[in-house]
Amino acid sequence: MGFFEQALLAAVVIGALSGLVGALVVLRRRTFFAQALTHATFPGAVGAAVLGLSIPLGAAVASVAIVGIMALIGRVGRQGSQVASGIVLTAGFALGVLVQALNPTLPVQVDSFLVGSILTVTNGDVLLAAGVLVVAVSVVVFLGKEILFSTFDVDGFRAAGYREWPIELLSLALITATVVTAMPAVGAILAIALIAAPAAAARLLASRATQIVVAAPLIGSASGVIGVLLSRALDVPAGPAIALTAATFFLLALGMRRFGASRIRLRA
Amino acid sequence: MDLLGFLFDGFSLPFMARAAAVLAALSLVAGVVGVLVNLRGLEFISDGLTHAVFPGIAVGFVWGGREGLFLGAMVAALVAAAALTLIARSAVPTDAAIAVVFTAMFSIGIIVVSRETNYAGQLQQLLFGRLLTISPAEVVQTIVICGVALLAVTLTAKEQVFRAFDNTGFDAAGYRPLLLDLLLNGAIALVVVTASSAVGTLLVLGLLIVPGAVARLVTQRLWLLFPVAAVFSGVAAWLGLAFGFAASVDLGIDLPSGATVVLTLVSGYFVALLARLAVDRVRAGRPRSEVAS
Repeated sequence: MGFFEQALLAAVVIGALSGLVGALVVLRRRTFFAQALTHATFPGAVGAAVLGLSIPLGAAVASVAIVGIMALIGRVGRQGSQVASGIVLTAGFALGVLVQALNPTLPVQVDSFLVGSILTVTNGDVLLAAGVLVVAVSVVVFLGKEILFSTFDVDGFRAAGYREWPIELLSLALITATVVTAMPAVGAILAIALIAAPAAAARLLASRATQIVVAAPLIGSASGVIGVLLSRALDVPAGPAIALTAATFFLLALGMRRFGASRIRLRA
Repeated sequence: MDLLGFLFDGFSLPFMARAAAVLAALSLVAGVVGVLVNLRGLEFISDGLTHAVFPGIAVGFVWGGREGLFLGAMVAALVAAAALTLIARSAVPTDAAIAVVFTAMFSIGIIVVSRETNYAGQLQQLLFGRLLTISPAEVVQTIVICGVALLAVTLTAKEQVFRAFDNTGFDAAGYRPLLLDLLLNGAIALVVVTASSAVGTLLVLGLLIVPGAVARLVTQRLWLLFPVAAVFSGVAAWLGLAFGFAASVDLGIDLPSGATVVLTLVSGYFVALLARLAVDRVRAGRPRSEVAS
């Protein structure tokens, strides 16, 4: 398999994963959280490159640390989750560029962490993304009903005797895993477009939650493939091309919804 | 090197003095605007703005070099501020929409820069700033723009605070929220533009939100928030600059100044956070122990 075919395969898998978990992010209103997480993987990746460890491992460790710090800040009075996300986000970038400056002989191109380089993904990256995709699909298949219930009606969910924290923890873990695996393809800055856009587009046009969960991964994969093809045809970097394709899907959905006035309005 | 030398020596060099002047102006205005960002909960929108300004910076930089950079950023920022104000008022808005649209604009900026030779180096400069190579003309530009932003916010400070705490009452009192939102988002955009060339697109958000968050931790008195935030960010910027300078002179490590400044801000935030947690714990613990005894 040539590197271009491998990039296409990675685009399909990572796009599908981002779309599926993106549905969770969008429906549970965790976009800023996910964005802070994508940005915070940057120092983890740079650190792993410095230490010679696997990049996804470094990003994953950094993400877990970040979630912990954000939980701590969120608990302090007068701060709240937006502040936590924002602070973690800039701290991540500053730390990453500092670590990079301390190691000028770093063999890896650091900006590939920022905007991604899907043409150089390894078999391991694709396998990892495929593994996370399998887990995410099985979570949605087996626990989808509970997740939707807790997403749309927390009080009812609690009253029905369910506990909320396992669902919350599960969705946090899925979001983190997705952010980590999407980074090689679209980078720390642009990952949020691939995660949020397909699900946001699907939500604009779907009338049922199930439709969102099915459509978002398809749109995500399509964004990935079209982005990689555009990148080759127009000679532009692949990460931005993928992010722009995903955003175009969102804008198209927005336009279709505006003109499709007969559709019943979705609340949420 | 002794402590005083650490704090003052570097700033006799012209490029360090210029960096300090720019950061002092930015700290003042970012402190004031940052408190309003915090009170209104506009962190996410500010993040969107920093991303949205990037294509303007990139296009301006490619066409006109450093002068073009400023112009391009201004145009992009004002357009983005107006667009954001309108999006936030329409029915469709979700945080997802903001994230998607502004990340898309960021992508356009990266594609524009990627057309340049020495793509990686220039991208890095735009993203992480070039605090130590600011020209005297840019210092003047920064101070003027910061002054405009500061004026816009201080003249409407009372109304902004009213809107932050009691939006319904604000509407009922007959004020016009659209104009006020435009002013505040415009001021944020101006800060983003000036700070982008100093500390870089990715680190601007630190200047905008950390001082406000620290002020909220330190005091509960409303009008103390603004001076606390401004003074905190000024001191942190100074320490960060001095630290970066000392590292490069004494240890021979070339640290990016924007990053040291932002990391000093964030470290200050965590010190304040832990202090606040400790104080709260002591205060919460005291009545219980009295009851026990």
